[in-house]
Amino acid sequence: MIDGSLVSARLLVFRVGTLAWAAEVDQVREILPRLPTTRIPGAPPVVAGLVNVRGTLVTVVEGWRALAPTETSQPRPPEDAGSTLILEVASGNGTKDGSGKKLVGFTVDEVIDMVAVGDTTLEDRGGLPGVDPTLVRAVGRRNRPGGAGGGAGGGGESGKDLFIVLDLAALLGPVLTT
Amino acid sequence: MSHTVLVCDDAIFMRTMITDILAQAGFEVVGEAETGTQAVEKYRQLKPDLVTMDIVMPDMGGIDAVREIVKQDPDAKILMCSAMGQQALVVEAIQAGAKDFVVKPFQPSRVLEAVQRVLG
Amino acid sequence: MDLSQYAELFLAESREHLSACNQLLLEWERNPAALQPVGGLFRAVHTIKGMAATMGYGRVADLAHRMENLLDQLRRGGKTPSDEIIQLLFRATDALEKSVTVAVAGRERDADLSVLEAIDDAALQFRPAAQPSGLARLRPEPAPAPADEPSSSAPQVSADATKSGPTRAVHVVIRPEAPLKGGRAMLVLKKAERFGAVHRLQPPSAAFESDDFDGRLEFELETSAAPSDIEQALRGAGDVERVVVGAAAIDEAVITTGEIPVTGAPNPAGGAGGGARSRHIRVDLRRLDTLMDLIGELVTERGRLNDLAARWIGRGGDPEIDDVAIQISRLSADLQNEIIQARMTPVWQVFDRFPRLVRDVGRQLGKQVSFRVEGKEIELDREILDELGDPLVHLLRNAVDHGIEPPAERKRLKKNPEGEIVLAAVRERSSVAISISDDGRGIDRAKILEKAKREGVVGPHVESLSDDQLLRVLARPGFSTAEAVTSVSGRGVGIDVAMTRIRALGGSIEIRTQAGKGTAFVLRLPVTLAIVRALIAAVGQERYALPLTYVAETVEYGTTPTTTMEGRDAIVLRDRVVPLVDLRKLLGTNGAAASPPPRRPVIVLEMGERRVGIVVDGMLSQQEIVVKGFDAPQGTLPVFSGATIMGDGVPALILDAAGLV
Repeated sequence: MIDGSLVSARLLVFRVGTLAWAAEVDQVREILPRLPTTRIPGAPPVVAGLVNVRGTLVTVVEGWRALAPTETSQPRPPEDAGSTLILEVASGNGTKDGSGKKLVGFTVDEVIDMVAVGDTTLEDRGGLPGVDPTLVRAVGRRNRPGGAGGGAGGGGESGKDLFIVLDLAALLGPVLTT
Repeated sequence: MSHTVLVCDDAIFMRTMITDILAQAGFEVVGEAETGTQAVEKYRQLKPDLVTMDIVMPDMGGIDAVREIVKQDPDAKILMCSAMGQQALVVEAIQAGAKDFVVKPFQPSRVLEAVQRVLG
Repeated sequence: MDLSQYAELFLAESREHLSACNQLLLEWERNPAALQPVGGLFRAVHTIKGMAATMGYGRVADLAHRMENLLDQLRRGGKTPSDEIIQLLFRATDALEKSVTVAVAGRERDADLSVLEAIDDAALQFRPAAQPSGLARLRPEPAPAPADEPSSSAPQVSADATKSGPTRAVHVVIRPEAPLKGGRAMLVLKKAERFGAVHRLQPPSAAFESDDFDGRLEFELETSAAPSDIEQALRGAGDVERVVVGAAAIDEAVITTGEIPVTGAPNPAGGAGGGARSRHIRVDLRRLDTLMDLIGELVTERGRLNDLAARWIGRGGDPEIDDVAIQISRLSADLQNEIIQARMTPVWQVFDRFPRLVRDVGRQLGKQVSFRVEGKEIELDREILDELGDPLVHLLRNAVDHGIEPPAERKRLKKNPEGEIVLAAVRERSSVAISISDDGRGIDRAKILEKAKREGVVGPHVESLSDDQLLRVLARPGFSTAEAVTSVSGRGVGIDVAMTRIRALGGSIEIRTQAGKGTAFVLRLPVTLAIVRALIAAVGQERYALPLTYVAETVEYGTTPTTTMEGRDAIVLRDRVVPLVDLRKLLGTNGAAASPPPRRPVIVLEMGERRVGIVVDGMLSQQEIVVKGFDAPQGTLPVFSGATIMGDGVPALILDAAGLV
């Protein structure tokens, strides 16, 4: 069964490694170029560090380390390529402003598209090879622009690219809990 | 019969504006004065129902004019026209016998409210 | 009108006046023959009454009014009050404070007014003896009259022969948005005078001429006219937000002068005593935080502008851009400074409640204590000051309970039976030191050492405890040295709590104690949390900020004798061994950076008696940094107190001295 809260949501589709992923647009505060990060000693490698988003300090998670850690054979793009998504994620223990939400940065290799979820966009499909099933909320397909294959796509029906809708809280929550 | 008004201000622009506001509301502006001395003289001649009085005027200031007019006519109905920052002067004018005040820049509705309070 | 928006202001202003009441009562208690305190008390209570009435808090206003009655009787009687009366006034002040608090919380009905009866009884008792019998009661509101007094509620006769007649308390509030409120107030007064004489005008009419006049006035009007008539007439002055005409009350005040004499302004901000209105406004702390954040951004952008200007000129651009960049730098620095200043609050705002506290605890324990406060005007960041209250309360209670000996014991020791506790604030380099010292018995090191050994806190071979070790033992959670558990200080817990709180503020605690002579705790706190001067150190390719508050000195590694201490590298600095922490190793700065330079700087941090040398690769600059919090991810080393944004817009972490020492 498909995650009900996703019906009629709008999704931002982006690429990390060889796969396309998606997050609800409502959770994306903004899309920025890659920002210079400051390492946080002691934090796990998945944390790229701290960035300055117009005066607010935001912890950034390295997308490929979180989602594609096994693709080590793939050449990584240069450090300053790609984008940083500033995400708003629910945090278990409330934050200072009491909203229970935290800002966290997430680096992606490329922002691909924005899609509206329609009746046929999503399907419930777990067990993708090499993907942690607890991070998957659903799997969707989008029309390939002009029918040409992008870098993304898990194979499948012609003219359609596969993307994985991420469970951001499951992905980022454990990193942020202090 | 409409009320008669004496408008005292050293600036023509201000006198015109006050006159317009009052005339549109049905008052009859019977005289204008540019100085405090003129104001005192014209009050004696015209015996208006209402005086609008600027605070800062050449030769005799508005507050002194109020004192003089009230000396002649303790029931004189004088409305002070003041500006922001003239708090102490306004207080002094009221102690001298002015009945109310309006603050520049004038809003017609505020001026007419004050006039009603003075005449009412 | 929505009065709730004024509730916070009412609460804050009332508290200032209540604090003043406590100060004045303490003064009066020490010297009951003094005449000044009663005047100040009268005015403070009177002001609270007026504010409460304006807010519509009837019960609060009633309590204040009856206190005011009693105070007026005392003032006019000019007699030295008994101790019972002063204790009653303390209780009444407490009741007033509680009722103010519950009223603001919307539970005014819960106010405990049980003290009212005693106040009224005392007021009757202090009624000047020469008054004719059959005098109307002093209570303001109609209430069952005692049998020996006339049962008719009006007219009430003043005791003062010079004037008589019923008066009504009148509160007028001019619309906040009205221009020249003073002029409006004067018109109100003119209208009121048509009904009868005006007494007890507050503020005095001279205040109407000031631009600071806030549009609130109150007076008593000698008239028997109906409140509705009075209200209607006063509204005729225009721009009147609110008129409250009280029920008829006897005017027993100083009719001869007509105004409340102002005596002994109890606090420097002019909160309670001064006739002149304060020029201060209250600002939500969150606003200042936001301003601080914005300034941080501005400073960052300023850095970018400077870079751009340099490049632009390098490419043959107009050098005038440099002037602009410099001006902007200067302006933003000034702005930053102003905002920091806006957050600064004098310590008396917290200290002023302590004399009462020390007195109460002393009485409860049968100790005689004289309490002195020094450096009241020293300023600290508001946020730090707010956090400081509880630890200080704890340390002061401790001083009275465990420090000061009972009077008999002090006599036996040939000490003044009255012990002394001094609370002092002193500004140091970039911190403020607050000390709590007593001349009591001091801490028995031998006893503590014995207990510490028994509990395994120190090894059995330790022969004596230094002050520093002593504090560490005392600060262990649950470590109790109290012979008897008293209700005052509890079971020795608390020093640990106080210490944790102080350290969380980036501060430190030190203890000095001498058997038979006394104990002093010294708290050192940064002046502000928001902006600190810091040393920017380089470690590999990374930058870290070290607040200067705890930087004692810097030396060069390699030029100082080295040794080891408990297996750690250390340097010897003026015969003292200072352990070293290599920041490269501690922070795991990896080998991508060049190998460390041969002569590395050592930054010596000092907190109390403890010192540690931090070995870095280089020192880049010394500058003011804006302290910001960040969501530390899981695993982050516990040595950071926050982060800041450097001139180039890149964040740098701030090292926490308390975590390193």
